[in-house]
Amino acid sequence: MSAEAFEKARAETGVIDTMIGFPAPREEQAKHYDFIRAQTNDADSQEWEFPAQYMFKGVPHYDKVDDPVEMLMAKMKQHGITKALTGMAVDGNAKIALERYPDNFVASTNTDPNQGMDAVRKLDEDVRVHGAKATNCWGTGLVPQVPLNDKKMYPIYSKCIELDIPIFVYAGVPGPRIRFAPQEVALLDEVCWFFPELRIVTRHGGEPWTQLMVKLLLKWPNLYYSTSAFAPKHYNADIIKFANTRGADKIIYAGYYPMGLDIDRIFAELPNVPFRDHVWPKFLYENAARVLKL
Amino acid sequence: MTEPTAYEQAHAGGVVDTAVGFPKSREDMFEFYEFIRKGSHDSATKDGELEFPAGYMFKNVPKWESNEMGDPVEMLFLEHQRHGITQAIVGVEDEVGRRAVRDLPDHFFAGIGIDPNEGMEAVRKIDHYANEYDLKSVGAFPAGLYPQVALNDKKFYPIYAKCIEVDVAFCSTAGVPGPRLQFAPQEVALIDEVCWYFPELKFVTRHGCEPWTALAAKLLLKWPNLYYSTTAFAPKYYPADIIKFGNTRGADKVIFSGYFPSGLSYERVFNEMPAVPFRDHVWPKFLRENAQRVFKLPQKSVKPGKVSP
Repeated sequence: MSAEAFEKARAETGVIDTMIGFPAPREEQAKHYDFIRAQTNDADSQEWEFPAQYMFKGVPHYDKVDDPVEMLMAKMKQHGITKALTGMAVDGNAKIALERYPDNFVASTNTDPNQGMDAVRKLDEDVRVHGAKATNCWGTGLVPQVPLNDKKMYPIYSKCIELDIPIFVYAGVPGPRIRFAPQEVALLDEVCWFFPELRIVTRHGGEPWTQLMVKLLLKWPNLYYSTSAFAPKHYNADIIKFANTRGADKIIYAGYYPMGLDIDRIFAELPNVPFRDHVWPKFLYENAARVLKL
Repeated sequence: MTEPTAYEQAHAGGVVDTAVGFPKSREDMFEFYEFIRKGSHDSATKDGELEFPAGYMFKNVPKWESNEMGDPVEMLFLEHQRHGITQAIVGVEDEVGRRAVRDLPDHFFAGIGIDPNEGMEAVRKIDHYANEYDLKSVGAFPAGLYPQVALNDKKFYPIYAKCIEVDVAFCSTAGVPGPRLQFAPQEVALIDEVCWYFPELKFVTRHGCEPWTALAAKLLLKWPNLYYSTTAFAPKYYPADIIKFGNTRGADKVIFSGYFPSGLSYERVFNEMPAVPFRDHVWPKFLRENAQRVFKLPQKSVKPGKVSP
């Protein structure tokens, strides 16, 4: 039974959440999205607290947050999340979390390829000096936007291979009202072809190109898919089927707390996902641990 | 005795050649050009009727029959001594080049060629040679690659990043190539984007930039780390735009290179050189100092009078 297998995997193997943030007061959280508003042209996006809010029910909101690190840690403990991918150990909550709970947090560094060689050098330093285990890049949210197969990404990809770390990227139509072109799933084919050694983990669903996503996940050994920003009841059927057949090693759990989903909701819905028993420990922990080389 | 000219003084102080090959027999040279025949469609090139694919452009290309060949390192070194070349960058991807930089480390310096079609292998190759040798140049021939790779193509971007990281100059042919291959991948205009994205990259053009020499001069002025080298051009054909730029704001940006043994003998190069109308202050920079700075070569200059005629 799937629900029992889920419980067993959570209890015995643990859970890595590859996308989670620290709770913040409403105003601060809303301000965080200014970079998205900067390149939207519709009126809604200017007003909305969260530029993708039309897609989500029950987005977590806090009027006041006393200790974001303790609050997140308590949420993680409550639901059996043993490790979380977070920001860098150089600033803010991530620094506190990595120092206070080194077993529970794994550092990831953000990359902006518009910064050219400075981005390459920052990546190098964040990994070699500050212990980052991954990088992430949301090219669609950058100004100017940077497509997944853009030449500006190439030195970043090359550096990830040298450093032996995965890159988390975004694929599929984005929620915020900005163009999807830079993160079409189809663009991944070229990147995987030119950089077969690069470990790529997609975020945010790959919809509506999930059939293509599955074809690519099967075709490219180092391409992975994570479930960020999707409530488990909306996990895509193509992806679930792939995980249950040839893709048990390729699908990785990610939440979306506190940006769009409450962890309580995620873990209430997760047991109902029809993964086969052997998929659960891989999905919740093992695949991420392998890709991140933990 | 008449006072030596500025050119003669500069020449006597030493000359750097930034792109030199070792002599090969006609058969070996013919075989070497297989990569060009592979990408060409015209019968003169493809069927090997042109022994040297750009041979229609050159007079008196150096040639050696197999039985005339001696030790290539000695042959080249002798040529250099004869013509006052004091430092030279040579390929170290074969044993001949490796032996040259090992046996004559004050004279020969390491360069490699790069094919970005090889992806990460090409990136690692630069690292490898930078670690094993004192690597001075990474060279590319965009039109001669198979498939061709444009200078602003994404495949080149990790190469550029690596050149910056290991602080080595990148050299590329630019302008219409002699061999009958498409020029598109090495249009001078493409260099603008590369210099914009990688302002730290030391980029040295080879093979003339013709017919876009006016644009080349604009870009050389605009981008501090862009340089021009005179490979494959006999001095009597140095483009007027480049000579003018060298004489005005570009004295630090134009670098001598020969084309030995591929297309030009040193005899011809140095017979024609005195007639190039460079102003006096340009000569030492052009023949030696710019190359030493850009390629990080020892600032060696020989005392006048030491060069045999």
